[in-house]
Amino acid sequence: MTFGEKRFHKKLDKIRRLEEEGVLAKKKKGSRALSKFMSNKMAMLGLVIFTIIFLACIFAPLLTSYRPEVVDLTNLMKPPSKDHIFGTDKVGRDLFARVLYGGRVSILVAGGGALGGALIGVLVGSFAGYRGGWLDKITMRLSEVFMSFPQLILVLVMVTIMGQSTRNIIIIFVITGWSGIYRQARAAMLSIREEEYVQALHAFGLNDMLICFKHMLPNALSPIIVNITINIAAFILEEASLSFLGLGVPMEVATWGNILNASQDMYTLQNAWWIWLPVGVVISLFVMSINFVGDGVRDTTDSSIQG
Amino acid sequence: MAKYIGKRILMFIPMALLMSFLIFGGMELTPGDFVSNMISPDMAANMTPDELNVLREAYGLNDPFLIRYVKWLGQIFQGNWGYSLSSGVPVKDIILQRLPVTLELALTGLVISAILGSVLGIVSALKRGSLLDHTLTLAGVIGMSIPQFFFGMVAILLFALNWKIFPVGGRTTPDMVHWWEHLRYLVLPALVLGVTQTASVMRYSRASMMDSMHKDFVKAARSKGLPEWRVNLVHGFRVSMTPVVVLLALRLPMLVSSSVVIENVFQWPGIGVTFKEAVSAGNYPLVMMIALIIVIMVLIISLVLDILTRVLDPRVRLE
Repeated sequence: MTFGEKRFHKKLDKIRRLEEEGVLAKKKKGSRALSKFMSNKMAMLGLVIFTIIFLACIFAPLLTSYRPEVVDLTNLMKPPSKDHIFGTDKVGRDLFARVLYGGRVSILVAGGGALGGALIGVLVGSFAGYRGGWLDKITMRLSEVFMSFPQLILVLVMVTIMGQSTRNIIIIFVITGWSGIYRQARAAMLSIREEEYVQALHAFGLNDMLICFKHMLPNALSPIIVNITINIAAFILEEASLSFLGLGVPMEVATWGNILNASQDMYTLQNAWWIWLPVGVVISLFVMSINFVGDGVRDTTDSSIQG
Repeated sequence: MAKYIGKRILMFIPMALLMSFLIFGGMELTPGDFVSNMISPDMAANMTPDELNVLREAYGLNDPFLIRYVKWLGQIFQGNWGYSLSSGVPVKDIILQRLPVTLELALTGLVISAILGSVLGIVSALKRGSLLDHTLTLAGVIGMSIPQFFFGMVAILLFALNWKIFPVGGRTTPDMVHWWEHLRYLVLPALVLGVTQTASVMRYSRASMMDSMHKDFVKAARSKGLPEWRVNLVHGFRVSMTPVVVLLALRLPMLVSSSVVIENVFQWPGIGVTFKEAVSAGNYPLVMMIALIIVIMVLIISLVLDILTRVLDPRVRLE
């Protein structure tokens, strides 16, 4: 018996012993990827923070009785107190309500933009990658154009053309955000295209659409999901930057960026920390939690990355 | 090599044309036409509608879209970039005046993030799994999650308002005698820009360094009995830097986007501030031309960097 074989038998013995003790039976329950994700502390922390902020925004009316747009001229720039836990802003609006209701719009804009862009990117990218030919060439060139535009410049040019509104900002995010996902989907399909099962399906004379979207796409999906989460985080930051410049969602709608926009002046910065600090922390925490979750999903699904 | 450079330049031309075509299409979608965009408002005010119509005919506004695009492109090459709607100043003058100011800030930020990012990334790769590594990785994720302008605001509050080390914003004062006096104004925005860009450079150079540490030539260097610092810094570092240079090129569009934001936080009078003002005032010719110039510049720089990395990579040189 060589050394290698000896080691192999030792391993088998260990597995048999574990089985007899009933350890393995317990371990097998649940998906392996899920248990790997659950044991990733950072990812779980991210998931918890994300869920708390997300649910708090959705159930905003249950958590606060104030409305985000109601002006109260008797309570201008009040620091946090029992009545207003995040204090009030320059025109007496309750900041806790603004952060919660603003989160709804910010998450809607970023999530809508990222998911819409992902839908276009996945559909076009997987079909172009699978079929190749002129469709592939044209869409590839187009994505190169979108990639070499600095994102913010492109977004601002489109804001100039389309005008500012919540709906337009979502559309603009979709148009500017599809290219990254498109490239990823295309690359994945290019490598899967040569696999034997695809050739077999081809030989059976199966419909191209069925092969592409039903049989190939599911195998390319997990890195794309990671990319979508990264896009959502990036769009949250971008919405905030746009609103900070005063060029995003119109100022009268409360969003995380618009709340920060209202606190740009030096007086507020120095004397009313409660106007800008909580929102800034909430945005950062939210984006960070998405990044942690995205990293966690990547670590559990991508076998090439370890540690 | 010459063949590659030629091919790369041939690829650049259709890209640049496609960009300009899209920008022209965007201009067509905004109010105002060729004549009102290309003639200084002062001149237009002194003209009768008939004269303007003659001009419209002369510029061929009744021509089909494609012919108008070709004529517009011709004007651009001749140096007529149109006029700002708000001030009547030629767009070219505005861009030529503001661009160096932006480059000063953006390049300083780039240098800071490149140095800081690659040093921290390499340290983190060498001390893999240590407390320092975990702290740096965590700090990187936090750094990527904080909005840049928020970071800038906090920096202004701490360093300018509370401790009064640096000025709040702007670039010059009227009573400035020496040119280097304005460096005081550069420090804070450049640091903020650089630090916000550092996280992703660090992530990338850490991965790149770890990758090259397992390569055969590093093992060979170590087995020759070279001291550990030489193995890491000379043999590992040099090779791991090539992808980092590529990353810097890829991140160029992001650097431009960030510097627009940072310029506005610090009221740094560069092209980002001009661009933001033009967008909010609906100053279409200025918006479109700035976008076009920025995109063409990004294309040219990535072309140069692409060729440069090819030249630097010894594996390519052998071919």
